[in-house]
Amino acid sequence: MAPLKSLESEYPIIDSDFRQFCASHAIFSVEDFLVHDIYVLMALAEEHDTSDRLKQAITQVLSIIDAQHQPWLDGLQLLGYSQKSKSILSTGCERIDAFLRGGFQEGILTELVGPSSSGKTQVCLLAASNVTKSGLGRVLFLDTGNSFSPTRVAQFVSSSSELADTESSKILPQVLDNIECRSVFDIFTLLDVLHQLLQNLRYQVGQNLRMLIIDSVSSLITPVLGGAGTHGHALMASAGFMLKKLAYEYNLSVLMTNHMVAGDGGMIKPALGESWKSIPHIRLLLSRGVLNNICSMSILRHPSMAIGERVEFAIL
Amino acid sequence: MEVSSLPISASHRAKLISAGYISISSLSSISPAHLARDLGISENEATGILKVASQRGGPERTIPSHHSIVDGAQTAWDMLHEEESCRRITTSCADLDDILGGGISCKEVTEIGGVPGIGKTQLGIQLAINVQIPLEYGGLAGKAVYIDTEGSFMVERVQQVAEACIKDMQEYDSFLRKDLPARQVNLQANDFLANIYYFRICSYTEQIAVINYLEKFISEHKDIKVVIVDSITFHFRQDFDDMALRTRLLGGMALKLMKLAKKFTLAVILLNQVTTKYSGGSFQLTLALGDSWSHACTNRIILYWNGNGRYAHIDKSPSIRSASAPYAVTGRGIRNLASNCKRVKLM
Repeated sequence: MAPLKSLESEYPIIDSDFRQFCASHAIFSVEDFLVHDIYVLMALAEEHDTSDRLKQAITQVLSIIDAQHQPWLDGLQLLGYSQKSKSILSTGCERIDAFLRGGFQEGILTELVGPSSSGKTQVCLLAASNVTKSGLGRVLFLDTGNSFSPTRVAQFVSSSSELADTESSKILPQVLDNIECRSVFDIFTLLDVLHQLLQNLRYQVGQNLRMLIIDSVSSLITPVLGGAGTHGHALMASAGFMLKKLAYEYNLSVLMTNHMVAGDGGMIKPALGESWKSIPHIRLLLSRGVLNNICSMSILRHPSMAIGERVEFAIL
Repeated sequence: MEVSSLPISASHRAKLISAGYISISSLSSISPAHLARDLGISENEATGILKVASQRGGPERTIPSHHSIVDGAQTAWDMLHEEESCRRITTSCADLDDILGGGISCKEVTEIGGVPGIGKTQLGIQLAINVQIPLEYGGLAGKAVYIDTEGSFMVERVQQVAEACIKDMQEYDSFLRKDLPARQVNLQANDFLANIYYFRICSYTEQIAVINYLEKFISEHKDIKVVIVDSITFHFRQDFDDMALRTRLLGGMALKLMKLAKKFTLAVILLNQVTTKYSGGSFQLTLALGDSWSHACTNRIILYWNGNGRYAHIDKSPSIRSASAPYAVTGRGIRNLASNCKRVKLM
């Protein structure tokens, strides 16, 4: 955190007297404060004339620090909380739903990895159309490759509904109104947008956003990863951290796509390297067979399913 | 929010963090003079840093009154309407237009790849001409930017294709308006040539520089509707020792082209070469520049030989079904395959 003097505007008790007292013990910022022994500091404050004010200021700084972390939960509370509020969103394809035990879970990050043209964007568009068609809520699609196709989404909506053609064309405007698409072309804009989303969700109670799709996160990170510095890794980690926070605090289902790169021995492996591997909770590998319509999905990482299990499906 | 995620230079970032400014909220109420003193930089630089930080926003944001979830987002319904009113660039070959859903769409990056001699440059030239077809004839009345890295842009050929296009327009006119007096097409081949902005590139740094410059260029020439890069691969295939650097440069270039396509609603067409890849026990032809480049385009069309005929196959597209169509390269440009088209046999 910042030097202590920047806290004065919000907390007038941290005035220059207090700061002078702290400076006499080599405390200039909140980090220095944390490192110091608080009891010793309190005892030293006793000896001062203005000991009450000093002690109040010390307590104030401690409460600012306390406000930074989430409240503690025990296992039983966590279980009840997750059963009550984190539901599972159907993907729109029955076979994938059966495979993933219901669909894409809220509150966690799911990553779709695969070589080019393996169906990643199609699965994302299908999931988005399904969430809005069932009236579950809104979807935000962050598009880095101009691959969001409203015509394709409209096709999914009208083909999968059990309503007649005229009725499905009536619901189409409302359904499509609930999907918002924003183009993002560099990692800094992505961090801006995620930050803005956090702020908006914090201040508006009934935003009704259920799913966040980023297609594709790897094309934003690849230009900054590697090279001389480690700044690229830091940006990748911040993006991952913000997505996890969004998913957990606001019960969003986050879907990301990633591409493949050449690995050892001619095999291909997911892009973004080892440090990215731990960020998505569920990683699914997609591939398209020789017959163009049959795709297959297999598990690369899942908290409760075995690696290597796979399913075949077709998106028409 | 961390200061490390702001787009500022590495030295400024290091100075900010060592002075204790780790979160953006700590920069919200500080004056430029104060910051400049703290960090030991000039006041101008401090003002720049504070501007970037304030754009990121702080916790004192007012509740947004607009309907969308984030700034700059569009609903799919609005985008659907925009897409329906957006014209496509015809390729002059009816079969090819059919499988493409009407032609090459604007707002997307299309990659076209194939073996040498299949007609990639010819297709590029045809699209540079077809984008200029006036609105009355179903075109976009736009201009073209042609970035030539290989030197395969032949002006005489472009003139030939332009004249054939004008003749086609006259035929179309006389066919549609049989009962009305013939309207002269007031275009000359020279007008078509004047509307193609040509850049000749001799190294990869020039290529990256031109693509960076394009944003400014296109904002000054608002009626540019297509950018053709022929070919995107040439300068990246040789003399590159550092493959990781190449991947980063290509990734950055791809994002810039995507941004151009979206921001100015134009079509970006990238022509690519082929290479062989050893996969599944055999050598196969794939497009050059590797696996990570294959995600840099929205659509991909692969041109190939099948017997004696040229075919185009849609390899990747978010909204168009995968299909193949034959086409021919004739004296007049790209046209439908006639039954007596022959492959040129090289001695």
